[in-house]
Amino acid sequence: MNPAWWIARKESGEILVNGRGLAWLFALTVIMSVLSLLLVSNTELSLLDNAQVVYMVMGTITALGALFAVVLGADAVAGERERGSLMPLLLTSVTPSEIVSGKMGGQASGWTVMYLLGLPYLWAVGSSGQNLLQAIAYLALFGTLTVLGFGFFALGLSARFKSVRTALLTSLISWMLLASPLLLGPSLRQSAVGRGFDAANPFSSSLNAFDSVVIDSQPFSMQTGRLAVALAWFVLTAWYAVRGVRKMEL
Amino acid sequence: MIVEIRDLRLILGGRPVLNGVDLTMRAGDIYGFLGPNGAGKSTTISVLAGLRPPASGKVEVLGRDPVAERTWIHRRIGVLSEQSGFYEWMAAAEYLKWFSGLSGKRLGEAEATLRLRRVGLDGRDRAPVGTYSRGMKQRLGLARALLNDPELLVLDEPTNGLDPRGRREIHDVLLEMSVNDGVGILICTHLLDDVDRLCTHLGILSKGKTVLEGSVAGLLAGRYAAARYRLRVPAPESAVTLPAGVRVASRSGEWWHVELSGAGDPAAAWRELLDSGLRIEEIHQEGGGLEELYLAATETREAV
Amino acid sequence: MHRIGSLLLAVWLVFSCGAAWAASGHLEITLVPDASNPPSPRMGDRLKFLSVIRNTGGRPAQGVVAWISLVQVDPGREQPMDLEDWSAHKAVTEAVVSPGQEVTVEWPMRLIQSGNYRVVVSAVERQASNVVTSPFADFHVRRKPTVESNRILPVALGIPGGILALMGWRRYHRS
Repeated sequence: MNPAWWIARKESGEILVNGRGLAWLFALTVIMSVLSLLLVSNTELSLLDNAQVVYMVMGTITALGALFAVVLGADAVAGERERGSLMPLLLTSVTPSEIVSGKMGGQASGWTVMYLLGLPYLWAVGSSGQNLLQAIAYLALFGTLTVLGFGFFALGLSARFKSVRTALLTSLISWMLLASPLLLGPSLRQSAVGRGFDAANPFSSSLNAFDSVVIDSQPFSMQTGRLAVALAWFVLTAWYAVRGVRKMEL
Repeated sequence: MIVEIRDLRLILGGRPVLNGVDLTMRAGDIYGFLGPNGAGKSTTISVLAGLRPPASGKVEVLGRDPVAERTWIHRRIGVLSEQSGFYEWMAAAEYLKWFSGLSGKRLGEAEATLRLRRVGLDGRDRAPVGTYSRGMKQRLGLARALLNDPELLVLDEPTNGLDPRGRREIHDVLLEMSVNDGVGILICTHLLDDVDRLCTHLGILSKGKTVLEGSVAGLLAGRYAAARYRLRVPAPESAVTLPAGVRVASRSGEWWHVELSGAGDPAAAWRELLDSGLRIEEIHQEGGGLEELYLAATETREAV
Repeated sequence: MHRIGSLLLAVWLVFSCGAAWAASGHLEITLVPDASNPPSPRMGDRLKFLSVIRNTGGRPAQGVVAWISLVQVDPGREQPMDLEDWSAHKAVTEAVVSPGQEVTVEWPMRLIQSGNYRVVVSAVERQASNVVTSPFADFHVRRKPTVESNRILPVALGIPGGILALMGWRRYHRS
């Protein structure tokens, strides 16, 4: 079996078996539950209000998935270094490329778990509304690119900074900056600066695509520009992570 | 030679860290690599393992360049590094199986248990590593280093955290590997007792430079004309003929202070004394052993 | 398009003040629900209305714009609805409607919210001084629960609970 796959398997185990990984998942699902329970009192939403809720849940899953990816990524190399488990890994016949691929595989597992945990919430709030299947498909597409991008970025920082605290802090600041459209709302995003920020921000691209597809029922052909931004983010961060681990110093 | 390092120099962050390290090992040697904290022992190991490219000098491990052929070398050496962490949520056997899988080797449950038993970790192989004591982790680290049945074993402070019984058990494992399998073992340690019990060869590093290297017996013989021992001997019933090379310097009650000339073999001398009817109840080496050798070597360097 | 329609209407109102000289048009509009519409529609269903714009005059009608308007007529909640959310077919234009010519227009829409609604189609021509409206068509949209609390509760409580149970099971298994 490929060592990268072997490392990815360990990383996945760390999420599902290790107490800390499960505690993180628990905390994230509690947030999702609170958001969903807020809707219980108002079951007579218009279709658009309902779509708005589905959109919000999609945005929240993406944001929380990115947060989880950032935590995993910041710990991926610097955490191993601090716990002394990086050196034994470097002393095996595994190459740095295989290490980074395995770590990326771990990120993908984390997001897959998060995505699968988010699906019941989407179903619960959106099954009587519109565009639920599109919501599920677009969350898989845009969510994966955006969330893994955040994870890869944190992974690159983790290899570069040698300290979990520094890597985590830098990643979280980036996450807050890029995820701010979720908090700012549409009106603030209409300014010239907001529009420019939106155009280049992978998080905004995902949110705008969710809005377009779920609320406005617009087709895939209108999402290609947004997809390009998310894809560019994914590729750039993957390159940064690979380069970071390859050039990592002891 | 399984390790040959000549005039190794390394610069880190613009600062010279290694300024001429020499280290030569053959298969079956147990090499004690000594030196004060910060002398560069762990850094030398990282160069030897191909994790840092040297600035200059010759470095060959198993006849190959460790930087250019790192993967090839890592398949054939085992390293217990100073920073030897584990995934604490994994059970020991599970961890060994996972670690073995990294090198493409499938380790079965039975073999994992066997390997853990070899380092004295039987019975707790299903408990998470996080619940292990420091000494148990050290044993697990050794089991990990031995996973690929290495030709060269590099151990950084291998008996750290072990109780006297544990140290003895680890010593036995290492001796068996060296004698039976011809594995070369490089041990970085502060414990001169480990070196005294195990090592055939010795290298002392000070401020990034090898200040002394050679076989333990040779170094001791070269430095001291006579090794000094303290023997507890209840009053002998008759006069004793001392073997050649053995001289009683003084007596104090039951304690005899004995000098053994540099060329003499202590074991043969004690056997001869016992055969002559002398009851020797205790033997202690006095000054003039490894400790003095080490202090003298490192002090000389400090003075420079 | 709806805004363009409103703008045209406003422009027409401004210019029609004291414009007794403007020619009056000869357009007629009908509006009927499509026969395939569900008899008792509810949120999420699709309705279609058909209208026919006919030039009953003797001269061609130039630059005809027809648009659909939707008004909620529930007591106390009377308000014009933003068609943006209901339909992408909000207006049609015809460069020329010749005398005697009939133009049939379909107005599909998706029912977004429950309530009582009234729909009307209006039309103007470039040189006419009045707006022509169709008869009203009324319809009722039944409620449909869009958020089902009996789905949310099990999910919102079950998933974190399941993870907690997994954590507990792991701890028990390990110990």
